[in-house]
Amino acid sequence: MADAPPLLDVRGLSLGYATARGTVRALDGVTLAIRRGAAMGLVGESGSGKSSVVLALLGLLGKEAALAADRLDFAGEDLRVAAPRLRGLRIGTVFQDPAAALNPALRIGLQVAEPLVQHRGLSARAAHGRAVELLAEMGIPRAAAVAQAYPHQLSGGMKQRAVIATALACEPELLLLDEPTTALDVTVEAQILDLLERLRAERGVSMLLVSHNLGIVDRLCDGLTVLYAGRVVESGATEALLAAPRHPYTRGLLAALPRADRGRIGRLAPIPGSLPDLTRPDPGCNFRPRCPFAAAGCEAPQALHPLDARHVACHRAEMLHDAAWPAPDAAAADRVPLGGTLLEVADLARGFRLGRGLFRRQAEVRAVDGVSFSLRRGEVLGLVGESGCGKSTLGRLVLRLIAADRGSIRFDGSPVPAMPPDGFRRRAQIVFQNPDTSLNPRQTVDVALRRPLERFGLAHGAAATREVERLLDLVRLTPAYRPRYPHQMSGGEKQRIGIARALASRPDFLVCDEAVSALDVSVQAAVLNLLEDLRDTLGVAYLFISHDIGVVSHIADRIAVMYRGAIVEEGPAAAVLAPPYHPYTGALLSAVPVVGARGRAAARTRLKGDVSSAPTEGGCRFAHRCPAERGTVCRTQAPPVQQAGPGHAIACHIPVAELARAPAALAVAE
Amino acid sequence: MSGAAGAATPARRRLPRTLVIGLVIVGVIALLAALGPWIAPHDPDAFAMRMRLRPPSLARPFGTDEFGRDVFSRVLAGAHYSLLMGFGATAISLAIGVPLGLLAALHRGWVEEVIMRGVDLMISLPPVLLGLLILAVTEPGLFKTILAVGLVYVPIMTRLARAVALELLAENFVEAARARGEGAWHILAREIMPNAWPPLIVETALRITFAILLGSALSFLGLGPQPPASEWGLMIAESRPFIAEAPWIGLAPGLCLCLLLIAVNVAGEGLRDLLDPRLRGRGHG
Repeated sequence: MADAPPLLDVRGLSLGYATARGTVRALDGVTLAIRRGAAMGLVGESGSGKSSVVLALLGLLGKEAALAADRLDFAGEDLRVAAPRLRGLRIGTVFQDPAAALNPALRIGLQVAEPLVQHRGLSARAAHGRAVELLAEMGIPRAAAVAQAYPHQLSGGMKQRAVIATALACEPELLLLDEPTTALDVTVEAQILDLLERLRAERGVSMLLVSHNLGIVDRLCDGLTVLYAGRVVESGATEALLAAPRHPYTRGLLAALPRADRGRIGRLAPIPGSLPDLTRPDPGCNFRPRCPFAAAGCEAPQALHPLDARHVACHRAEMLHDAAWPAPDAAAADRVPLGGTLLEVADLARGFRLGRGLFRRQAEVRAVDGVSFSLRRGEVLGLVGESGCGKSTLGRLVLRLIAADRGSIRFDGSPVPAMPPDGFRRRAQIVFQNPDTSLNPRQTVDVALRRPLERFGLAHGAAATREVERLLDLVRLTPAYRPRYPHQMSGGEKQRIGIARALASRPDFLVCDEAVSALDVSVQAAVLNLLEDLRDTLGVAYLFISHDIGVVSHIADRIAVMYRGAIVEEGPAAAVLAPPYHPYTGALLSAVPVVGARGRAAARTRLKGDVSSAPTEGGCRFAHRCPAERGTVCRTQAPPVQQAGPGHAIACHIPVAELARAPAALAVAE
Repeated sequence: MSGAAGAATPARRRLPRTLVIGLVIVGVIALLAALGPWIAPHDPDAFAMRMRLRPPSLARPFGTDEFGRDVFSRVLAGAHYSLLMGFGATAISLAIGVPLGLLAALHRGWVEEVIMRGVDLMISLPPVLLGLLILAVTEPGLFKTILAVGLVYVPIMTRLARAVALELLAENFVEAARARGEGAWHILAREIMPNAWPPLIVETALRITFAILLGSALSFLGLGPQPPASEWGLMIAESRPFIAEAPWIGLAPGLCLCLLLIAVNVAGEGLRDLLDPRLRGRGHG
């Protein structure tokens, strides 16, 4: 087997982009081989060049790109020549965003059939018939009807299935998957990963899966290649590599990863520094400036060499076998003990009318529908749920940034009116997801941080300057950042400024709306540590909204699970992450791709459809997707809230004792 | 690759060539318009019946009209009308339209409905007709023309200002300002306007061309400055009976109008290249 020539054979692939600042070396001697029927994962953080590899293979690079390779072969043909002929026919591609991949003006069936007409010369009628078959094979119910639909009529998961059907139409030997599930919710992601797994087993199609998510790669791929700043640093068998990474960068990536199955580990280890300047590639190891093990010899070029059944580009890898990854800097201080109740939310609700206007028909969506919870001083409540469940709306309702239809909020004992006083505004702040839009592009860091100080009369003049510097120090940035504009900073730096701005007024309560979701793992770890330190030293309470259960399980004291506008389960983090749990929580947890959990397949619960599927009036809002649904009771009566343990509530018709018998979706290490 | 955009600050960015060329031409025309009365070789309104309908020559580069007036001097003396109409009218539409648009964006609900439906109503009328409506009820004159043209373009500025403001109001940094309990005035002045003026100013620059054109069109119809003023549109109108025997009378102001329009437009395009980051990197073809 090993002697057969690989299906895809890439050696010494280099790629330069001409830019105003000089040539950016996006790829530098990338070597990669995929056997027939094998699946290779290509992981790396943003800027590592992983998407450039896909574009290079497809011959879709722009004119400004200079490509060089010792070998770029697909089944013995040079892709530099043959790519235009092979793509779509023998190489299928699935990109990240299914909404962008489909033409909104054409019916799904036509788009799936197109490559068959184009490459295989099928008649329109035959191609359409085949398209319906393909859609059915992708697990799309009522495939014939879906083929007649337009993209906007399908959910994200269904769209991605249609894109995969298109990619597979001509029965390619290789499937290039560029972050195929990143735009999807975790339960839908699990369905798509199941589908890909099945396709690989049934059709024997080879795959190159590009992802930033190690858990997904571990699920799907038997080989793994780790890219750092355009170079391969380690490649080998996925399982062995993830169990015992040998390159310092791979080790750092794993140390920085918050993992749902590990629960609350003490502290994450961020990788210090940032990507090197790709316009001046370092002839030696380019991870050297960030590497805790850097030593003499690292400035020499590092070749990939075999070690422990894999290839590593680090001359010290063998020597460092037993050296432990340096422990993360200790927490800033012992944690302030939890205080009394700070925030009490009761029966909060908000609907949105669709089709606003004088003459339009109005429909209402209940984004948040009767939510109650409370939060103590210094406590972190994690709020998880899929997109559209209302978690961001809830975060804004709590801050009175959008008006509630009904419900009450008490903050520190006193009710918060619809137009809250300055005192509440000072003490309750928000951190946003997207660092690019959370800062005003025309304001310097200094202006942005000074404003809350002046607004609340906390400091003026020189005192404000000192305070701005203290805030920068708090988020581990130097005073040199004061005159900078947002476009002069990296994503992680911008996110820290966003946090510093929220902290400027010395709040007691922060809503973190996906505050680390847009960041790379190594940066995310640093920001998470920072948030923990602030909680521990300042006693700030967080409503930590996230779709990433790994992150939430790492930072939250308690977790609330939200589904279509209501909290279905709430309790201490460890209790929510283990049975008994609400069937939705169970499905959510079993869908999370976890590193090193291949044997988990047996415990998988899969949901049908997705959140936008048909509503159920009156009954349990999860009933139509619930794997444990009990018939009419679930569909007609609102579920009772049951106590499953101290402070642990589950809204479900099924008795707690029975829920407790559900298999553990995560093997939570105690 | 857009990676380079992060390194350059707005001040250090090179000025687009189109902006420079456009501004130089507009500047020269503005200078000639300002100096017109002093540098004109002849009195623009002096009749000289012996010199009627003379073709262009060295002494009279644009020839003479049916009353023997020097066309070059007249074009020179009339330049300020077009400039005043273009810039003045645009300034009026900006001054009325932008506040209305911002008001509509900030006060969603009946205020917005009233403003935007009014805007719809005005947009549904052809510009010339709307200008006629405004002018027909009173005596024509330069400043009324400017006002009429300005009012015609108010709805467009209102719509644009509202669209830009709505987009910005949805940004997280505005939400952060609201989480600080900032008032509407602060949000408008400090968060919205610094980000809104680049697209507004670009649109304004491109609108000036339309304002000049509409002003000249209204003058052509006799609804602008009255004879013997040498407004270019009016000159073209007056030259009509002589178009066959003395085409230079109409051609001279027409070509000058053309040059001014092109220059303003080119400068506007350049300004867009400079200020609108969404178009940067596409090159200015």
